[in-house]
Amino acid sequence: MAQIISEKCVGCRQCQKYCSVDAIKYDAEKRKCYIASDECVDCYVCMRQHVCPRDAIQPVEMDYYQQFCHTMSDPCENHGVTGVTGRGTEEVKTNDVTGRVKKGRVGFCIDVGRPGAGCRFYDVEKIAMAIAAAGVKLEGPECTPLAALMTDVSTGKLQDEVLNYRTLSVIIEGNCADEDFPNVMRALQKVSGEIETVFSLGLIMRVDENGYNPNLEALDDLGIPRPYRGKVNVGLGKPLCLD
Amino acid sequence: MSHSLHRSGDIESQKKDFVWFMYQTKGVNDKNIKPKMMVYINAAERQGSENWGDVKTGPITRFDPQDIKDHITDKSRIRGVFTKPEQVIGFLKEVKEADIDQSCIITGVFSEVIPCCHAAGVTPHSINYSLGVWGNKGILPDEDTLAITTMCGHHMIPPKFVEYIIDQVDKGRMTPQEGADRLSTFCYCGIFNQVRCADLIAEDVEKRRNKKDE
Repeated sequence: MAQIISEKCVGCRQCQKYCSVDAIKYDAEKRKCYIASDECVDCYVCMRQHVCPRDAIQPVEMDYYQQFCHTMSDPCENHGVTGVTGRGTEEVKTNDVTGRVKKGRVGFCIDVGRPGAGCRFYDVEKIAMAIAAAGVKLEGPECTPLAALMTDVSTGKLQDEVLNYRTLSVIIEGNCADEDFPNVMRALQKVSGEIETVFSLGLIMRVDENGYNPNLEALDDLGIPRPYRGKVNVGLGKPLCLD
Repeated sequence: MSHSLHRSGDIESQKKDFVWFMYQTKGVNDKNIKPKMMVYINAAERQGSENWGDVKTGPITRFDPQDIKDHITDKSRIRGVFTKPEQVIGFLKEVKEADIDQSCIITGVFSEVIPCCHAAGVTPHSINYSLGVWGNKGILPDEDTLAITTMCGHHMIPPKFVEYIIDQVDKGRMTPQEGADRLSTFCYCGIFNQVRCADLIAEDVEKRRNKKDE
């Protein structure tokens, strides 16, 4: 968590345009800037850019959940268990070696709060529980950071204490059998109308040499446009998983 | 992490935007990887990668490339950007030939990336398809701003700073390229495409001027 030391702030407001989520406010009466702690996502952009001429922006001690939010919001941090920077997961990037998403399965990479909107964990829980109920097997804590906050990975239920915390974005990961794919997509369509924030959706699949997987056909029936861009793992990792 | 996946904006503009990654797998091939990273970096430099970096140090638009190389550890993650298919093909051919067991990823528009794979003799194994943004999209910035901010998928580029840069360019205080270079320093990973960004800034400034003239 960051704060602006009021005694040092000269009210120049230079820092405000450096906040990724508009959490730096200006108190016109006091002529000082301050960070709205309930909105700050601890991304540390304001500190890394050294924006304050008086060095008034300082980190403050964080509790366990704030530390988690900071690790998710700041891509320079490695997640403690997965060891991965960014949002803390390898997802498709090493699927040629890990085989996390195999033939006959569809992987879900749901980046809640992206792009740049931020999210509260009660929205994250809603989405996780919706897809788990529709047939997604959520990833465990060895693969994805969010699982460490779940009381039950089979349902997606999160610890009650974290629900009101806010982070820049956090990824829900899991996979389902091909036959459950349309049902999960319908669940996502429904829950997308029930949340305060946004999510960016990635679907991970094994593909043929032309980058095709037959599950894409199901999108047409659901009225979802076919994807035109993606992250292509070109299969150079070893040992190569062909499952 | 999916920070290169959900770039937005005009598709023709996205076609000039390719992100490359080398990725180690935890517990399998993640030890003593600096020499392998150097294979990727050397290949990227030979192909003229417009930007690249290591999230643990930063991008070449902010730090000396030698400094970034000197600070590589097993916790590093290297990645960068190309703007032309020929670069991607040359890069893929070289890292395939090196045969160094690391996962290699190219993010971009399929109509461009898949032919590059064929030309380089590599076979797509898996894809993370971008299905775009869902939910309460009314809270997002406008599309022109998102086309720039989503080039740092970790969203380290504040929309208000984009607005500030466009204003500075509009007032003639910096060029579109200078504005793009400044924005690129916010993205520590080195995947921000400052070449595409300069084009987007120039377009945004023109739109703004046309609006004023109306």
